[in-house]
Amino acid sequence: MPQLCSLVRRRKFDALRRRTMALTLFLVVLLVCAMVADSQSRDEQARPGDCVACHGRADVLPKNHVPTASMDAADCRACHAKGSPLTLVAKIPLGHLHQLHGITCNQCHPQGTLAGPLTTEQCLACHGSLEEVIARTATTRPHNPHGSPHGKTYLACDLCHHQHTWSENFCLLCHDFEYRVP
Amino acid sequence: MGSQKQKNKGVSRRDFMKATGGMAAAAGMAGGGLLLGSKKAFAAEMPEKWDETFDVIVVGSGFAGLAAAYEAKKAGASVVVLEKMRTPGGNSIINGGVVAAAGSPLQAKAGIQDSPEILLQDMLAAGLHLNHLPLARIVAQESNNMVQWTINELGVKYKDGVTQEGGHAVPRMYSTYNQSGSAIVEQQLEKLAALGVVPRTGILLKRILRDNDGRIKGVEVREGYLFPKEGSGRQQFIKARKAVVLATGGFGNDVAFRSVQDPRLTQELESTNQPGATAEALREAFRIGCTPVQLSWIQLGPWGSPDERGMGLNPFFAQLCCAMYGLWVDTLTGKRFVNELADRKIRADAIIRAGNKCIAFTDAKGYALGQKALGEIMNRLIDRGVVKRHESLEAMAAAYDMPLAPLQETIQRFNTSVAAGKDEEWGRYLQKDQFPLETAPYYASRLMPKVHHTMGGVRINTDAQALDVETDAPIPGLYCAGEVTGAVHGAVRLGSCAVVDCLTFGRIAGRQAAAEKPWG
Repeated sequence: MPQLCSLVRRRKFDALRRRTMALTLFLVVLLVCAMVADSQSRDEQARPGDCVACHGRADVLPKNHVPTASMDAADCRACHAKGSPLTLVAKIPLGHLHQLHGITCNQCHPQGTLAGPLTTEQCLACHGSLEEVIARTATTRPHNPHGSPHGKTYLACDLCHHQHTWSENFCLLCHDFEYRVP
Repeated sequence: MGSQKQKNKGVSRRDFMKATGGMAAAAGMAGGGLLLGSKKAFAAEMPEKWDETFDVIVVGSGFAGLAAAYEAKKAGASVVVLEKMRTPGGNSIINGGVVAAAGSPLQAKAGIQDSPEILLQDMLAAGLHLNHLPLARIVAQESNNMVQWTINELGVKYKDGVTQEGGHAVPRMYSTYNQSGSAIVEQQLEKLAALGVVPRTGILLKRILRDNDGRIKGVEVREGYLFPKEGSGRQQFIKARKAVVLATGGFGNDVAFRSVQDPRLTQELESTNQPGATAEALREAFRIGCTPVQLSWIQLGPWGSPDERGMGLNPFFAQLCCAMYGLWVDTLTGKRFVNELADRKIRADAIIRAGNKCIAFTDAKGYALGQKALGEIMNRLIDRGVVKRHESLEAMAAAYDMPLAPLQETIQRFNTSVAAGKDEEWGRYLQKDQFPLETAPYYASRLMPKVHHTMGGVRINTDAQALDVETDAPIPGLYCAGEVTGAVHGAVRLGSCAVVDCLTFGRIAGRQAAAEKPWG
């Protein structure tokens, strides 16, 4: 039934998708390499400039990067401001940001417990109620990412926001909503 | 029985008769008593050790699975719900939230005469009488009861008023308050959580473990499965002391399997389904001896849009504002091409036959009705460019390169029909408050049929028992409910009947599963 096929428009973002996939693949390879290199365990006391403590190597930051040893998140933002081309939003796993804000490993994974994934309730204990989170992104287009009509289970934080790997846009499974997920 | 040792040496006919009870033995005998000395083709090696044990294992967490889990738990069984995706709810949680209820209080309020028998006749007409009558009859009889059950037992909230999908003789659909199946699924999840049952996500069914005696004993799964990554997760064996309920949904998004059943449904076609609507569990059901039924009947939703992905929101506009109150026209001719309230297959076929150049449109009054009934959804449709506003008929015709004079003539003819109270041209049911189409601005969207529902699946009886392909007898310990089953709807499912089907047979399956005699 050729008519049936012809009805499907070729999406103009097919090419974009392919590029995105290639980029994703590249990032995954990079991640795997990094994980192999970083086989040593994370140091819960690590300071911002002390990349070796977790990554096991000193060259994580670009060459000539200013020393970061005494910095916190606000200092980082002096250069990597939100909205600037240097922004780190969606570019590094969120765990860094938590650490830089002084939220250390043990505050999410209490000492003596297995470091498993957190529940949404644990996230909300700091980030406010679900209603507050929904309100915070009320004007985001094309759709409030926290205002899913599919119910509460689609608002589990870790569907999109990851700490120890890059975050993802879970909506893309079914929708064309382009978000930069921190 | 069932020990590793015994199985290795094979089970003699005498052992088999001695070891098994009525149903399984009867099933074996009904198949001509063919016991080939050693192992049945369907039989799996039972694991030496089970990782976990429950009375009832429910696979799938949509309407049917959750309904089964709820009833089984209430009946005192220990229950686990397994879901392969990262979120529970499957297609149900993204469904459009319309539920058929024949002879409902809302219909009475609107002065609409209806009955389960009329719904049944509608289902059979659309289904080309391929429906297995006892199954279809249960759905028709239970429709209103089921909606009232969701209200009274689950606490589901509905809008005040009924709407109409194609193929229904009268408006008889309840709509959830948020126009989504999530309004039902969320209540099911909440009720289940209160009973201590929370679906486990990221668990893929690999094998249904049917023993040589014919009984279902448990499942092999991959725990920590990352859809769609083949081989991800860890192998686990879960024992079902009483029964397994298969509620794994349809295969609308499984291009390989669906295009085997209907070769026209290639990857070129979009689907309204979530990406996990695939056939692996159905294949496994057939492998262990379930009976396939009517797999080629796959429904396209006629109200899809090429201007958004998946199910999207256009179905609401195209159905409520246009099929009920406006018109669907072929832009090549400017004329109507189908009864806008015919069943989904008739309409999808007509759109394709017309060359996929059809639009749905309504006037300012139809749009206002949509805004009242659908609220924010209408704004989103405009915002996303799926529905477009046209200041005049002339502007709308120009926007779709449609000849104006025939369009004007079409509308004139429809308006005459409205005045006469009868659609002379296509015999469409006219709404009690139907108005002539004459008020600018006009609103329109493009139509593109998308793969929506798979009518075929596993054959069940009225107790939701899966029936053996070899013997036609129930497979002991296996129940199926929802879209994974077949023949309830025959050739074409009527819109809003799926929820009733899933909830009804899900509940039956759950109750029956809990009442099974444990095998060990």
